[in-house]
Amino acid sequence: MNLTTSHLIALLPLMLVCATVVIVMLAVAWRRNHFMSATLTVIGLNAALLALIPAAQVAPIQVTPLLMVDHYSLFYMGLILVAALACTTLAYAYLETLPDQRDEFYMLLGCSVAGALVLVASQHLTSLFIGLELMSVPLYGLSGYAFKERTSLESGIKYMVLSAMASAFLLFGMALLYAESGTLSFTGLGQQLSAGGLASNWVILGVGMMVVGLGFKLSIAPFHLWTPDVYEGAPAPVSAFLATVSKVAVFAMLMRLFSLAPATADGWLHTIIAVLAVLSMVVGNLLALMQSNLKRIIGYSSIAHLGYLLTALVASDGLALEATAVYLVTYVATVLGAFGVITLVSSPYRGADAGLLYHYRGLFWRRPYLTAVLTVMMLSLAGIPMTAGFIGKFYVFSVGVESSLWWLVGGVVLGSALGLYYYLRVMVTLYLSPAEQPGRDAPHDWAQQVGGLMVLVLAVLVLIMGVYPQPLIDLAQMAGLQFPI
Amino acid sequence: MTLLLIVLLPLVGSLVPIASARSGRTTCAWLTAILPAIALGIAAWYTPAVFGGQLPQVSLDWVPALGLDIAFRLDGLSLLFVYLVLGIGLLIILYARYYLSEKDSMSRFYAYLMLFMTAMLGIVTADNLLLMWFFWELTSLSSFLLIGYWSHLSEARKGARMALTVTGAGGLCLLAGILLMGHVVGSYSLTTVLEHRELIQQSSLYQPILLLFLLGAFTKSAQFPFQFWLPHAMAAPTPVSAYLHSATMVKAGVFLLARMYPVLSGTDEWFYIVTLTGLATLLYGAFFALIKQDLKGVLAFSTISHLGLITLLFGFNSKLAAVAGVFHIINHATFKASLFMAAGIVDHECGTRDIRKLNGLWRYMPYTTVLAAVASASMAGVPLLNGFLSKEMFLAQSLEAQMLGGLSWMIPALATLGSVLSVAYSLRFIHDVFFNGEPRDLPKTPHEPPRYMRLPIEILILLCIMVGILPGIMVEPILRAATAAVVPGQAPEIHLALWHGFNLPLMMSAIALSAGVLVYLLRNHIYRFHRQFRAVNARQSFEFSVQRVVRSAQWGLDRFENGSLQRYMFLLLLSAVIVAAFGLMDVPSMAGLKSLQPLDPVVVTGAGILCLAGLGTVMLHRRRLLSLLFLSVVGMFVSLTFARFSAPDLALTQLAVEVVTIILLMLALFFLPQKTPKESSGRRVSRDILLSMIFGGVIASLNYAVLTRPLQSISTYFIENSVPGGGGHNIVNVILVDFRGFDTLGEITVLGIAGIAIYKLLNRLRLFMPSSDMEGRPWSPDRYPVILSSVSQTLLPLALLVSVFIFLRGHNLPGGGFIAGLVAAVVIILVYMSRGVEWTQRRMSFNYQPIAVTGVAIAALTGLGSWVFNKPFLTSSFGHFDIPLIGDIELATAMMFDLGVYLTVVGSTLMILANLGKVTTPHRPSKEKQ
Repeated sequence: MNLTTSHLIALLPLMLVCATVVIVMLAVAWRRNHFMSATLTVIGLNAALLALIPAAQVAPIQVTPLLMVDHYSLFYMGLILVAALACTTLAYAYLETLPDQRDEFYMLLGCSVAGALVLVASQHLTSLFIGLELMSVPLYGLSGYAFKERTSLESGIKYMVLSAMASAFLLFGMALLYAESGTLSFTGLGQQLSAGGLASNWVILGVGMMVVGLGFKLSIAPFHLWTPDVYEGAPAPVSAFLATVSKVAVFAMLMRLFSLAPATADGWLHTIIAVLAVLSMVVGNLLALMQSNLKRIIGYSSIAHLGYLLTALVASDGLALEATAVYLVTYVATVLGAFGVITLVSSPYRGADAGLLYHYRGLFWRRPYLTAVLTVMMLSLAGIPMTAGFIGKFYVFSVGVESSLWWLVGGVVLGSALGLYYYLRVMVTLYLSPAEQPGRDAPHDWAQQVGGLMVLVLAVLVLIMGVYPQPLIDLAQMAGLQFPI
Repeated sequence: MTLLLIVLLPLVGSLVPIASARSGRTTCAWLTAILPAIALGIAAWYTPAVFGGQLPQVSLDWVPALGLDIAFRLDGLSLLFVYLVLGIGLLIILYARYYLSEKDSMSRFYAYLMLFMTAMLGIVTADNLLLMWFFWELTSLSSFLLIGYWSHLSEARKGARMALTVTGAGGLCLLAGILLMGHVVGSYSLTTVLEHRELIQQSSLYQPILLLFLLGAFTKSAQFPFQFWLPHAMAAPTPVSAYLHSATMVKAGVFLLARMYPVLSGTDEWFYIVTLTGLATLLYGAFFALIKQDLKGVLAFSTISHLGLITLLFGFNSKLAAVAGVFHIINHATFKASLFMAAGIVDHECGTRDIRKLNGLWRYMPYTTVLAAVASASMAGVPLLNGFLSKEMFLAQSLEAQMLGGLSWMIPALATLGSVLSVAYSLRFIHDVFFNGEPRDLPKTPHEPPRYMRLPIEILILLCIMVGILPGIMVEPILRAATAAVVPGQAPEIHLALWHGFNLPLMMSAIALSAGVLVYLLRNHIYRFHRQFRAVNARQSFEFSVQRVVRSAQWGLDRFENGSLQRYMFLLLLSAVIVAAFGLMDVPSMAGLKSLQPLDPVVVTGAGILCLAGLGTVMLHRRRLLSLLFLSVVGMFVSLTFARFSAPDLALTQLAVEVVTIILLMLALFFLPQKTPKESSGRRVSRDILLSMIFGGVIASLNYAVLTRPLQSISTYFIENSVPGGGGHNIVNVILVDFRGFDTLGEITVLGIAGIAIYKLLNRLRLFMPSSDMEGRPWSPDRYPVILSSVSQTLLPLALLVSVFIFLRGHNLPGGGFIAGLVAAVVIILVYMSRGVEWTQRRMSFNYQPIAVTGVAIAALTGLGSWVFNKPFLTSSFGHFDIPLIGDIELATAMMFDLGVYLTVVGSTLMILANLGKVTTPHRPSKEKQ
């Protein structure tokens, strides 16, 4: 096929992100300046964000058999770009005090974003894999970025080794699937599967392997083991990136794969995913009870949240797409806010991030507004009404009820009740009387910095989405999936 | 729109105390009270209309996509609750002004209280189920804040958390129920839902809906078996208990029962679940109220008991019983709120709530004693008080219940028993606390509370008496209006009167009163009996179960998440193996349709050596040099395997790559630490062996199964098109330089970039050259062995010739640019190794960077060249030329491209490898610094 202008317009966001990486690289080669690198990255990401508008004009359009630029992918591209922007601003605050080279961070981040963009637009196993690897490989470097800290280095290595293994499984699964079906495109697979010609064991095996690989990337129990360790060790902005961008991209892709190629011959895959979902909810919430480190708590809670979200995947009809979109938006905003506060509290210090709950004891008495932000985020994670998290949870609930997935709904209820417990623990800690030794603290002028502003904006956003979610819902309804003809 | 104000005013009111925090405590209280008072006025203004059968409604869009509207209604039931919530709320504001000490933040308390009031009003007036649920959750949250108001007390924090966990989880159940109901009815509007009784009850989802709604109601109203949170919520300040646990929060559950009564009731499921739960709660609460030693604990359990009674009444499926239930909601709210406030006064003035210490308080606070006594009498159901009326109705209704068949007599019997206990604990509350001897070691000397602290109780007691004596005037209109909302269709005849003549209920009441006194007199026997059992502390058991959960979580953490990468790998592999093994188990037969190739001894021997070498690599991994040697054997045999199965090209490539890799590893090995620490215990090693055997087994069987199945190969296409399309007989080479030329171009670019990057990275690196191996033996001082250097020098021209030969014939016979490049690189490296970097560079004084770059450039230019002939990028062409003496020679543009590949490979490889030799320095880095 030939590439026409409209194809290029559709790809513009992706190309702009890639160009940003190159430009930042050249700029760094010319002169190292942290502010300039960050600014260039922000400009590039914003340009890509703007490029979504012309892209939406030409969408839906299929760009090569690999990529499908439809409203669905554009919606998630937007989400990814916004999240990446937030991570960039956080990273700027964080890296200011890092006694090392800082500029490479933005290139790695850009590469990873490009991978995520490919992933959400992919409609072919090839682009799936390329996107996934392009997204993951820079993350190895990012998680180990503060490599003078043992924990950071360790998290980088852990993530790399395990992720490589997961990719191997994914590839193996894809190969088996290909060997059986002779096609790699989602639609082709879907046709073959629905024709019933592929109910063979090799398909089961292949899909099973893929579940292992993708489950790892989504940190679904029992493939979640790396999550808390990596979240804890990686620099806070990277943890934020891992928890938002990478999850959004993989899940959006998975949703597309599942909608186009539903392996629903006898529903065995749904059963497996439902089991994994309930397991994630239970394991994530239970293990979070024990944690004394805020970053780990969010890590475990992300496991649980992905479990909730899988409900939509299992249902994969009716409200499911809308629910996924709304849930991911609210979740991303919340997690970014939470990690934002952690970044702000950690950034003025050298050494490991301020993750321990102990560091946050009595934060209210020192930084009331920052504490309020963190409180809002915790409430939202717990899914309390008036916060964004509630809208997401409500959608998941509706989907579960609509499709009569009782076990999953039960899991959500149980998980939420457990979840309240540790989110409350965090909140209560914030308001306790301050510790004897002064804990860690954000800089005095945190609210005047970009990172601080971003966190405040997120808090307001979380509240607005909680109180008046209609615009978000409208947007999510527009983000319909384009089924290729 | 004024209807909205009823909810909005208290919401705004929650800001008032914060704003007026500095203006003094009394002012703050007064200002706070203004807005709810206005709201009460609005409700009063609506009253005639509601009594007249109108239904004021208001509706605004909020989130239409979810079916969530801001819709409110004010029917009789709502109005009744609005009165309760606002009226008692105002009294509590007054009471709390005197109850809270100077240290407590008044504004915070009032803000929370107003927030709670808003939530409660929202529940009772919402006309949209989702909106109602929304406020429902808000009550859980604001009650969390109120119960945990004294946040320095761990007791309060734990109690608040428990309350929130239980009611929060119940709330989610309710949400599921609401969603289901919306699913069935197609709307969340309460008005619509209430009209679809038949639809809901005939739906197959009726049972889950009912269960979920009841779970929500029962957790909120502390019904058995969820009653345990309520006693622990008593850690709250007493005004909170008086408000939340008498009139509002716990009433939300029974309100829900009343609200949903028109659509959910009337079925057997409803009867059995609601009645039995109510009965169990009634008796359970009553019994424990009798034996608790904590003043508020007694009230908490009596609240549980009375809530059970109300639930029981709603369960009876009779219209009159529902009326009685609504009536008892009012009565219980009035007398229980006053009792809590009285208990608060006692606590406030005496500094303790332990009944064993409190005795004979009437001497110190006679006025309070009278008030408390009247309230208790109402709770016990003494005639002339409001409690008596509803209890009569309750007893009468219990006689009507027939659904347990032959066992129906048990309901009135148990109801009477509940009343007996109720009388007993009411009596105990009065007699033990206010009479019965002298107080013992009280922290404070008690005296009468401030005038205004008693005022709320006086008002409530007055109501109790008035309702008790003149029920027809006082409550009948509102009861009638509320009943109209609860009981659909023909309203039952309500006739409230003090005297119904001598009948069975009256006798039961009399029995209850006299037996209650008797039970109280015999209470010591009951205590003794009860002491035989281990005290069950709900919080302890709750905490215990929490601890157990936590312990199991800890166990899981220790087991699975110990931070060890090996462990994670192990688990990940294990789960993958399980998936694979399950898949394989389903495969009927391992072997597919394809027949196996015959085994020949060469292959068997080769495979055997391959396995052994692999084993050797792993087993000797701590002695790296040996391990590396084994690895090279593995590589060698892999290449041979390719050769054996007719892939000479691949074999050649593999061989060259093997050599380069091993050289690279050798060079790197030199700088690595000499010793590998022993990291694995025997157990772990055996575990790993086991796992790898399983994993290998599964993967091997998988491969076997896949390979024995027929496959469609894409190779036919290439075989057919290689000569006509690419002009070469070596298909692999044709694919590389022609069919997939674009890929190759990308690859060599990457290779070139990688080479340059490594070159730059190594440029400044200096590593200490170790002088001895791991066992302390010095490395040979003879750096440049003579034999090797002479051999390498001799080999150099020969090998370069071979490389050119391989390159030239590559298009048709095994060979090609890539292999040729590697061969050239290997031999040059050999020279480097044998002669040293300096010696070699003096003689081969050229840079490798330009070579690599030139290679990429040539390849790219070849591709661009086709544009000159108006062909797409990288179109190749070939022709046959007849050159004299040499004969027919085929030349293809692909050859140029291949030259590019050749140069890039040579340049990059040498950039990487030749520079590794330069990084050595004989000085230790640490010494260098000094």
